Amino acid sequence: MRVPLSWLSEFVDVELTPEQLAERLTLLGMEVKTIERWGADWEHVITGELLTVEKHPRADRLSLTTVTLGDGQPPLEIVCGATNIAPGQRVPVALPGAVLPGNRRIERAEKMGVVSNGMLCSGAELNLTADGDGILILPADTPLNVPLADLYGDVVLDVDVKPNRGDALSILGLAREVAAATGQRVRQPDVRVEEGSGPATAERLAIDVRDPGLCTGFAARWVSGVTVGPSPDRVQMRLLAAGQRPISNVVDASNYVMLELGKPIHTYDGSTIAKAGDGRPTIIVRRAEAGERLETLDHVVRELTPDTLVIADPSGAIGVAGVMGGATTEVSDGTTDVAIESAIFDPVSIRRTAQRLALRSEASSRFEKGQEPRLARLGADRTAQLIRDWAGGTIAPGALDTSPEPAPPARVAFRPWRINRLLGTDLTAAEQESLLHRVEVATEPTAAGERVTVALQPEPLDVQAGDGALTAIVPTWRRDIAIEADVAEEIARVRGYELVPSMTPDTAMPEFRASPLEVRELVRDTLAGAGLTEVVTTALVSPKHVETFVLRREVPSVPGDEPPGGEAIGVTNPLSRDHALLRRNLFGSLLDVVGTNLRHGTDDVAVFEIGKGYARTADEPREWWRLGFALVGAAEPAAWNRPARPFDLDDAKGILELLAARLGLPAPAYTAEGAEPLFHPGRTARADVDDRLHAIVGELHPSIADAWELRAGTRVLVAEVALAGLSGGRLPAEQAPVVGRYPEVERDLAIVVPEATRAADVADVVRAHAGALLRDLRLFDIYRGVPLAGDEKSLAWRLRFGSSARTLTEGEVEAAVGAVVDALGVIGGRRRA
Amino acid sequence: MDLAQLTADLDGLRDRATGQAAAAPDTAALDQLEVEVLGKKGELTAILRGIGGLPAEDRPKVGAVANQVRAAVEAALGEARSRVGGAELEARLRAEAVDVTTPGRPIRRGSLHPIVETAREIADVFAQFGFVVYEGPEIEDDRTNFQMLNIPPDHPARDLWDTLYLDVDQRLLRTHTSPGQIRVMHQERPPIRALLPGRCFRYEAVDASHASEFFQVEGLMVDEGTSMADLKGLLDQFAHAMFGEGRATRFRPGYYPFTEPSVAFDILCVICDGAKCPACSRTGWMTILGAGMVHPVVLRYGGIDPERYQGFAFGMGVERIANLRHAVGDLRLYMEDDLRFLGAFR
Repeated sequence: MRVPLSWLSEFVDVELTPEQLAERLTLLGMEVKTIERWGADWEHVITGELLTVEKHPRADRLSLTTVTLGDGQPPLEIVCGATNIAPGQRVPVALPGAVLPGNRRIERAEKMGVVSNGMLCSGAELNLTADGDGILILPADTPLNVPLADLYGDVVLDVDVKPNRGDALSILGLAREVAAATGQRVRQPDVRVEEGSGPATAERLAIDVRDPGLCTGFAARWVSGVTVGPSPDRVQMRLLAAGQRPISNVVDASNYVMLELGKPIHTYDGSTIAKAGDGRPTIIVRRAEAGERLETLDHVVRELTPDTLVIADPSGAIGVAGVMGGATTEVSDGTTDVAIESAIFDPVSIRRTAQRLALRSEASSRFEKGQEPRLARLGADRTAQLIRDWAGGTIAPGALDTSPEPAPPARVAFRPWRINRLLGTDLTAAEQESLLHRVEVATEPTAAGERVTVALQPEPLDVQAGDGALTAIVPTWRRDIAIEADVAEEIARVRGYELVPSMTPDTAMPEFRASPLEVRELVRDTLAGAGLTEVVTTALVSPKHVETFVLRREVPSVPGDEPPGGEAIGVTNPLSRDHALLRRNLFGSLLDVVGTNLRHGTDDVAVFEIGKGYARTADEPREWWRLGFALVGAAEPAAWNRPARPFDLDDAKGILELLAARLGLPAPAYTAEGAEPLFHPGRTARADVDDRLHAIVGELHPSIADAWELRAGTRVLVAEVALAGLSGGRLPAEQAPVVGRYPEVERDLAIVVPEATRAADVADVVRAHAGALLRDLRLFDIYRGVPLAGDEKSLAWRLRFGSSARTLTEGEVEAAVGAVVDALGVIGGRRRA
Repeated sequence: MDLAQLTADLDGLRDRATGQAAAAPDTAALDQLEVEVLGKKGELTAILRGIGGLPAEDRPKVGAVANQVRAAVEAALGEARSRVGGAELEARLRAEAVDVTTPGRPIRRGSLHPIVETAREIADVFAQFGFVVYEGPEIEDDRTNFQMLNIPPDHPARDLWDTLYLDVDQRLLRTHTSPGQIRVMHQERPPIRALLPGRCFRYEAVDASHASEFFQVEGLMVDEGTSMADLKGLLDQFAHAMFGEGRATRFRPGYYPFTEPSVAFDILCVICDGAKCPACSRTGWMTILGAGMVHPVVLRYGGIDPERYQGFAFGMGVERIANLRHAVGDLRLYMEDDLRFLGAFR
């Protein structure tokens, strides 16, 4: 809400500087976003008087004027293109050096052979009025040689009015807040109506409210014999400063009342409203009929639905109630009779209609926050008077008004001790009352039987008032004070929150609860320590992402987390196609990070993210936690003392093994995965540790890397990991191993197997036959070549044996190794001699 | 061979050998000398071979002299060894010297994302005051995200949260972490001190100061006497923890449907310290979070009697806190994941 201080001061005296006022309002809950100097861009624009106006010697459409700035100064010759000027008029003069709104510089310039020493300004050039055709003619008593800003400059505060304070979407409403902040009194708005003679309003117009549930009050006035034209300059200036474009005196009157009182008003050309059988133009308030259409003021034909409240006449809809008028009844230059509508509509209905038609306006935003019922009549009266003042004409005697008898002000009982308990303050009842009085809330002792309302939803909850309770009598414009806590807020904000004490909570502590972040933090710290950078990417991705990054067989979730897989979940109102669906895994997001960084010239990218996958099964959405990582470029970047070593699958598996070890899990078991289209069929593994870790880890399929426009030949290692504890839960305490007192014995065993035999299968055989004394088994070399056959390889293992009870004998160890060697036949292997 | 001759030979050997030891240039020469003089086939042994021709009573005399010679030569060798050894070690160390000013062998360095890390820092501060972490789902329903937070359908306050709706059974992406308040209240009885970090979504065009996905941390404390004074004290401590001891703070009225009264919590501008600069819209203050006393309606939806219990809630944007702590001016940087940016963080 833009508030010109000149307008505000009609309703309340302001003795503070704009900055002080802004701070007071902000601390009262009416946050001032900006303080604007209206007229700050009129530098070197001063008042002058036209001495002569003659035809330009060489240009028919231009005039040559002389302008005096006052006593003793030589007249200035100024060329002007406007036609509304005459000697004796006082006008704004932009002198050479002036800079006008829009950064327009004025210099001494030659125009068709005559030097012009500046410019006479129109209202539009100064952003003062809407008139761009004529020079702004100032009142005859305007002093000369005065900066225009001194006369017409203003300060405009932009106030962020919260949705619960519709009453403050007006100059009057904010004046009330200023009064509360400064202790001043509010001057009530002018409500005089100078009715003329002639037929009464009721003879000229009829109102038929057919849906009183959605239109709880409808006041109307009639002004005949108006002359539509521009509003007075002062009015235009005020509307512009408040952010409203002047249109015509009649329309400006309605906008003026909306800004001043917060009451949206609509004006009709009275002659265009169809007459009912009794010969009177008749305004009908009803729901739209199915299929009904209406051309609104913006000349768009709109399809209406039966839940739309419309203003109609006997021939059909003439406006969307509270949202926008219709084109056929619009006030135009030729209008002479004006019908004024000042109605109260159901807030929810207006809000829904405005949203459905995508027509949020100054009017609808006020209606949807609720309106004080008495504004219906007040708004009609005020608009009629302003039209008469600005456009002439006669106000028909009397008004039409369907408003019910005004309801008594709301009574809200409160307990001062309870207010103090909530705020942590120690205010006496009298102090609380006097704070309420500053916002025109009256107080009295709570009547017998009156109860304190604690909450209104889900169903009302009230309690006995008890001794010392008071009742707040809430002014009708404050629709936001309904329960005891609302009274607490009024007291706190009027007093100032800076006076609430600051204490450290010293009440009972909750029971211990393990943080669900424990495992995530350990994983993050581990991976960052291992050289990976954590990234955060958007959960909403493009359809292309979702289609591309699919696993045929999902990485299963660990117990306790939601299972993965299912249909992707879409956003019904996405911001863009790039963010239209929830991702089902992290692959695409990580590849985007890889691609972005490669394009930026970062060659080595090792990143991880802990995030969620999302999908649905029928109507049941699911979300589950995952760790993803991607590696590309050099695991060990080249340096002067080392050649580069590129990332390969073993690095990715090493990360999994590191994680398992840090989490106290056994090393993962790997199996080959050759059937996932996302992955290289020969360089991809599934990794599992019982039900605590499941992963797919491998090299991205080259065709995907190409499709994702990664640098040609780039090998990308990617993994997705489900991990116990990612979604919450604690790690069990590690159990200390028994470190043997007896020496361990190592034996190396080279096993020759066919090329196709997997290391994991060989290890299984070794473990199965080496007996209970085998403590550790490690692959330390793979050899191919002479003297082995072409389709053979030799895997060299180091076996470590030990016992916690005794020193092993040579015979025991040899027996264990012998048992392994004897068993190698089952995998077609043999001991390499 | 007589005794005198033998004795003279031994004396000569001693003199020559000790002289040569003293003059030896390096360990190798000394080793050779030792073998030549004292070795099994050395000169001393050769001289003593002549002892057999002596009378029996002279033999011990020669033996005594020979032992003296051996001891003298060994002593000379030892002395010479320590002399040349020091020089040789010095020479070796000299030869092994490297240019110590070259850079080391690089170790890959990782880093933690500033948003996740800031959320962790926030949680750490509140953990000191007994706040424990809870998490709620990102896919919510209208009832929990809005209605149970005292935001009925068609309420004008809904404009404060532009919502992304899902094609699943009336679900939406949570617009704030506040629905977590309801979930915690359904799970716990007072005293409650809960912290709810998480990802949130809004229908918001992305620019330097708006994001459609962002992170919030919500706090909730409920007990019989939990007051606004407690809220203020706690937030003051938080501001000091995050923005420095003595950072001035202020409470001012705010508006949220789920708190009553509602406040905005400001800190003195971290750029100008209150001198009023563009970063603080020339007010001298920066808003870092919104808070208030939990609305009785919200307590009731949470199954808590608002007549007996009261409490406060607060919610902050993690990006906002991170921006101010790390001098980041553009929200988009956080999700662009440019390693040149992320690499600057711990």
